[in-house]
Amino acid sequence: MAAVAILAVCAGCGIGRSGEGSAGERLDRGWDRYRLGEFSLALKDFEAVAQSAQPGSSNHLAALYAQATTWNLRRPDEDTARAERLYRQVIALAPTNDLAAWSWLALARRKSVPVGGETPPLQPQVEAYQEVIDRFPFHLAGEEAFLHQQAARLEQPDEARTREVLAALETFLRTHPQSPWRGAAYGLVEHCCAMLGLREQRVDAVFQAWRAAEAETTNRTSNLSWTYWKIATLAEFETGDFTMAREYYRKFIAEYPTEQRVFLAKQELKRMDELEERIRGQEQP
Amino acid sequence: MIARAWSFLRRNFALLFVAAVFAWSVFAIVSYRKVGMPPGAKIQLRIGHWQLEAGVREAFDRLAEEYRRLHPEVSIVQDAIPESSYGTWMTTQLMGGTAPDMIEVGSGLPYNVLLGYHSRYFVPLTPYVNEPNPYNRGTPLEGVPWQKTYKDGMRGSYVGELTQYMTVPLAQFGIRVFYNRNLLRKLTGLDEAPHDYRAFIRVCETIRGRSDEQGRPYTPITSSGYHAGMWDGFMCAPLTYGAVRRVDFNRDGAVGSDELFVGFKTGQIGFDFPPYEARFRMLRELTDQFQTGFTGLGRDEAVFLFAQQRAVFITTGTWDAGSLVEQARGVFEVGIMDFPAPARDDPEFGAIVQGPVYENPSAAFAFAITRTSRYPEVALDFLRFLGSRGWNQELNRIIGWIPAIQGASVSPLVKAFEPHLEGVFGAFPVDGLGGETGIKWGQQFSLFQVHQTDYKQMVAEFLPFYLTRGVEELAELHRNRRRGVRGDEQFVAGVRARAMAGSGEEAVARWSGYRGMTAGRLFSRNLGAAQLQTRLDAGVVTNAVGPYEFSPEVVARVRARLAGGDREVR
Repeated sequence: MAAVAILAVCAGCGIGRSGEGSAGERLDRGWDRYRLGEFSLALKDFEAVAQSAQPGSSNHLAALYAQATTWNLRRPDEDTARAERLYRQVIALAPTNDLAAWSWLALARRKSVPVGGETPPLQPQVEAYQEVIDRFPFHLAGEEAFLHQQAARLEQPDEARTREVLAALETFLRTHPQSPWRGAAYGLVEHCCAMLGLREQRVDAVFQAWRAAEAETTNRTSNLSWTYWKIATLAEFETGDFTMAREYYRKFIAEYPTEQRVFLAKQELKRMDELEERIRGQEQP
Repeated sequence: MIARAWSFLRRNFALLFVAAVFAWSVFAIVSYRKVGMPPGAKIQLRIGHWQLEAGVREAFDRLAEEYRRLHPEVSIVQDAIPESSYGTWMTTQLMGGTAPDMIEVGSGLPYNVLLGYHSRYFVPLTPYVNEPNPYNRGTPLEGVPWQKTYKDGMRGSYVGELTQYMTVPLAQFGIRVFYNRNLLRKLTGLDEAPHDYRAFIRVCETIRGRSDEQGRPYTPITSSGYHAGMWDGFMCAPLTYGAVRRVDFNRDGAVGSDELFVGFKTGQIGFDFPPYEARFRMLRELTDQFQTGFTGLGRDEAVFLFAQQRAVFITTGTWDAGSLVEQARGVFEVGIMDFPAPARDDPEFGAIVQGPVYENPSAAFAFAITRTSRYPEVALDFLRFLGSRGWNQELNRIIGWIPAIQGASVSPLVKAFEPHLEGVFGAFPVDGLGGETGIKWGQQFSLFQVHQTDYKQMVAEFLPFYLTRGVEELAELHRNRRRGVRGDEQFVAGVRARAMAGSGEEAVARWSGYRGMTAGRLFSRNLGAAQLQTRLDAGVVTNAVGPYEFSPEVVARVRARLAGGDREVR
């Protein structure tokens, strides 16, 4: 009687149903759990798929990669040694698979983890990223590795290094005309130009980053207030191109009328007028 | 027979008890859900919120009735839950799959938990906020995307981490000065409180010099630890706005605590900066009008003084407007005014004040649609109804709050609460660099507020500590930023997995979101800090051009362009 009742209650609560679903569904559910921070439950899903899937099959690789990611990034109770073994297992099973590329990148990213909040040594990072770049030069993961590599180099500012990074980024943009990472690459170019005082190129980089982002976005509501603001202030204070500055301050005011910076934008429009008036006044005979 | 039954009962009491409670729960839930189904209704929607203030439940009932006139098959029931237990209630309802169809979001849970709930339990609304709201038909907002009909463009509804709009806000809030008109008239002869700062202070001085029949002096402004920050935030702190031009090194339009520290260290700014001095002079003049010991008082004690007609002025928000007016009903007339501001020709502050005070128009009182809703499309339609110009106006008229939709008229009571959408803001985040300098500042500032120190002494005590200890705190701030990379890495891995699982346009959008997050959170995470550190390492630069100053090179370019006859349209 008691057993029947317990079974009935269990059935009502849905206990015992968690194991249902295809491998794909379990992987999806595992990632949902990962995203919610329920790492142990996520691992159960991933492990179940890994055990039941054909070794080397896409589900098997996906489950191994998912386990590796969870052990690598879960907090607390991370197990980075196990994560590394799993990533290497994916690489060994299918060295040219997409997931192998992402596994290589994950291994490289391990070198960028700050210890005690301090910047990790640069050279091991550069070398680890280079390995991914060399293996997958035109893969999303390889291109991402390249950008991580440049960002790591820029984190430790030095003029010569910044120039090298700028040159590398320019080469990347030339040799990867179809890369979806171009917008992000231009973002780093802009930073280099800021550090090196390359004013015109900096404004150009902001425009290029914007165009690249526009070309790929499907979000009709993307917020351009920061882009407008950046172009306007760079044009006003870096290149002295008041025509461009006025155009983008006005766009900013028109499209984002309740933004905190609107008052500042209006003040800047007035200040540019005043500066020009002053200069005209000085130059009159 | 009875003995056997008794024996069975004794042996299985626990199990039977559980079974009985379970049966009762099922009955209670089912019968609760049947409550309020009027005849003819086929669909029942539930809406959960924590607003127990007067008017909110009445407003929902009234609007539900109006909605039912248009859609007789739908009835709406409210779950009004006290704010203190709202987070727990919401969690259990969501996890148990028994959450209402629409649920108010924003209180009782930390952001990271809420983020998980958004992802798991709520319906993304992005496609719908880009469509026109059909209930705006026949108004100037007809055909306008719903999102654009909001005064704040639904800014607060966008969850950046998910790149989705997740909630529908229904009201705005604001803070203003309330005053006792009768007492003001009696003590000063004025019918209206002055809006000019100097005249306001004079009126306060007059009130301070008056006593009642028993010789007890009147208090011009009743304040407390809760209220003092509002006076400071709306009147004194905005005087510091000018610091943006000096130390907003990354030109994002605001001064960060790290930028301010680097500004102090490199000689770009100091406590002798006139707007900073002005802020504390005004604060001193203002706190002189508060009752003695205000920092130790709570919110209710300050309100009590106002309700007892012992004080003329008090500040609070729209949320308290109704109850303050209610307390005063039949006793005295309540006036509502904007915070007084110095005139342009004010001898002391006129040169410092650059404009009115900016108020973020962000809308709140926001509702999400739960994934467990059996009728999500009907829930969406009801929220569209509440978020349309006419009905949002009606909802807020009944409650006494500010409508969130453009062009919706405001009740006379809250007319004065309409936010200023253009203006200045504070730029002195001296307490945000780190724990120790923050505490030190808090101590000195408290002493200043209660007249136990003056500005000069306060600066003398704080500045040396700030400049020395701040170096380590800035480094720690940077370390904390780097430590945060682990959390971001974990997050973007989840986003990447979702992108990998997608197909078609959905996959394109997800990959685009992934790249945006990776660029923003990982590539450029520490680059701003690196730039600031470079500036700090360069030390004091006395002839540096401020971020919003025209360099000689820029002036030369403008001069050359004007000389060349380069025509420009203004």
